[in-house]
Amino acid sequence: MSDQIIHMPVNPGDIVGEEHWAKRGDIDLFLYRRYSPKARAASPDKPVLFLVHGSSFAARTAYDLDIPGKGDYSLMRTFAGLGYDVWTMDHEGYGRSTHTDGFSYIADGVEDLKAAVPVVEAATGRGSFAFFGTSSGALRAGAFANVYPERVERMVLAALVWTGKRSPTLKKRAEKIDEWRATNRRVVDEAAYQAIFTRDVEGLTVPYLPAAAAAAEMANGGGSVPNGTYIDMCVNLPAVDPLKIACPVMIFRGDHDGIATDEDVMGFFTALPNKDKQMVMVTGQAHNTSIGINRQRFWHALDSFLSIPPRIDNAN
Amino acid sequence: MTDMWSQEYWAHKGDVKLYMFRKRLGAPSAGETPKPILFLVHGSSFSGPTGFDLHVPGKTDYSLMEKFAEYGYDVWTLDHEGYGKSDSTEGNSPIAEGVHDLKAGLEIVMRETGQSNLAYYGSSSGALRAAAFAEQYPDHVSNLVLDAFVWTGKDAPTLIERAKKMDIWTASNMRKVDKPFFLSIFTRDLPGTSEDGVADAIADTELAICNAVPTGTYVDMCANLPVCDPTKVQCSVLIIRGEHDGVAPEEDLLNYFTLLPNRNKQFAIIAGQAHVSHLGVNRARFWHVMRQFLEMPPRIESSGL
Repeated sequence: MSDQIIHMPVNPGDIVGEEHWAKRGDIDLFLYRRYSPKARAASPDKPVLFLVHGSSFAARTAYDLDIPGKGDYSLMRTFAGLGYDVWTMDHEGYGRSTHTDGFSYIADGVEDLKAAVPVVEAATGRGSFAFFGTSSGALRAGAFANVYPERVERMVLAALVWTGKRSPTLKKRAEKIDEWRATNRRVVDEAAYQAIFTRDVEGLTVPYLPAAAAAAEMANGGGSVPNGTYIDMCVNLPAVDPLKIACPVMIFRGDHDGIATDEDVMGFFTALPNKDKQMVMVTGQAHNTSIGINRQRFWHALDSFLSIPPRIDNAN
Repeated sequence: MTDMWSQEYWAHKGDVKLYMFRKRLGAPSAGETPKPILFLVHGSSFSGPTGFDLHVPGKTDYSLMEKFAEYGYDVWTLDHEGYGKSDSTEGNSPIAEGVHDLKAGLEIVMRETGQSNLAYYGSSSGALRAAAFAEQYPDHVSNLVLDAFVWTGKDAPTLIERAKKMDIWTASNMRKVDKPFFLSIFTRDLPGTSEDGVADAIADTELAICNAVPTGTYVDMCANLPVCDPTKVQCSVLIIRGEHDGVAPEEDLLNYFTLLPNRNKQFAIIAGQAHVSHLGVNRARFWHVMRQFLEMPPRIESSGL
């Protein structure tokens, strides 16, 4: 038995996959794009959607996972089918991007995104995009929006943490702060993914997911990831200033996510200045919203927020 | 395409007859797949069909009932005691009385549809009625949408202004309504958030039925808040706030939201909207947010695979 979930309302036809590369100094950054020419033509107003990965997976492990015969896991494929032009990137030290001696901190992630923007702009003809980030990817995306607001049309942040105060996950993570600082990388394998998927609660991801994630990670040049975002999340929060996010924002939070308390996330939401904002809390979700068994609820909320009719400013 | 179908009903709350109105695509038929039910609860100043099934001359898409009927819902509304076509009494139809009205209305919905667990939407004091109803009848409310809601009323600009006339609201069980009053509802937050002609259409529709409405919800909102307890609401809840709505500050609503125990909950601020979301120029954004909430895919309980 599998958790077959199919979200596409119509046959999207062929979904294109394209590799692109960006350059930040000596670092080569791998970008991947998926879109359906047919669905795009049917929904030309849908934005370019840029997906920002978190601490422990490269981009396509997180957002373009393929588990044959087990339903849709790829956020990229699903949203390409819905008419979005979907992009993602391996940050410094992840997947197919250059593995440097650095730690790939959140601040580095912002520079990675800055380097990616002209590549996406050249390919799509659009100068600003919708951004989605999960976990430390939400911090990268939020910090990017702080400094390059003109590039961010709308933003969706999942598995967000702001100050980290009383965060169960980060309290536990901080116990190993010396380990994270001792070397710039840590191994990610099936056991590591098993721990990530079950640390909040068991049963909200399928049992075969850790093996599938580990295989995808190895196939994309991974097997280990940088430690910078772990260090930032343990000792350098807050990394994002909600007061400096100009665009509309949706925050998506699973009821079992231990990365932050409700209070911390609500504090961030309250401080957002744009009066086009949504806080969506759902049950049956833990930290990994986009690959959990209830990912369809997340897709639903994400698609809805990104496709809200445009605002009319004066009736007459 | 299936035609819009409508029907009138009467609910009975003791001796008080309450007018109900229903719209959906196509007449009900035996053995049909049940449509999801959406029950719309009106606020302080105009009756159910006037606000929720409005037709504005020369303009389209003002009927919330028809819009959600087109989306596939079986949409109901009710005139509360003293409003519209329902009986008037010597009472002033406060929030608590509205809960009794909704219970009487539910009986009719159950009789006609066989369904007993509905989605409720309330606007302004209608949101207070709907929330209070959900507290008392949790088995009958599957989803709750609270729009233009207020909890404690602390620092609410509209209520500070309204409370200045408390002696008028308490002097009689009814207050007069006229065209200038209806116009003021649509301009008090920010002119331009609704189209010209909408307030006139509301006034013309409502004044053709009645020229006074009960004072109870105004008294409640000025003197008796909070009348709702978020900790007693069991279902999933969406709170919608128009950017310019003066009936409550954001903080008041966020405090209410935080205390809701069901963690399927959403808080949406919609830019470009004022107090009456469903009649605003940006009402399509409001439909979009509400529909997204009502159509959230069901939760899978456990992988167990």
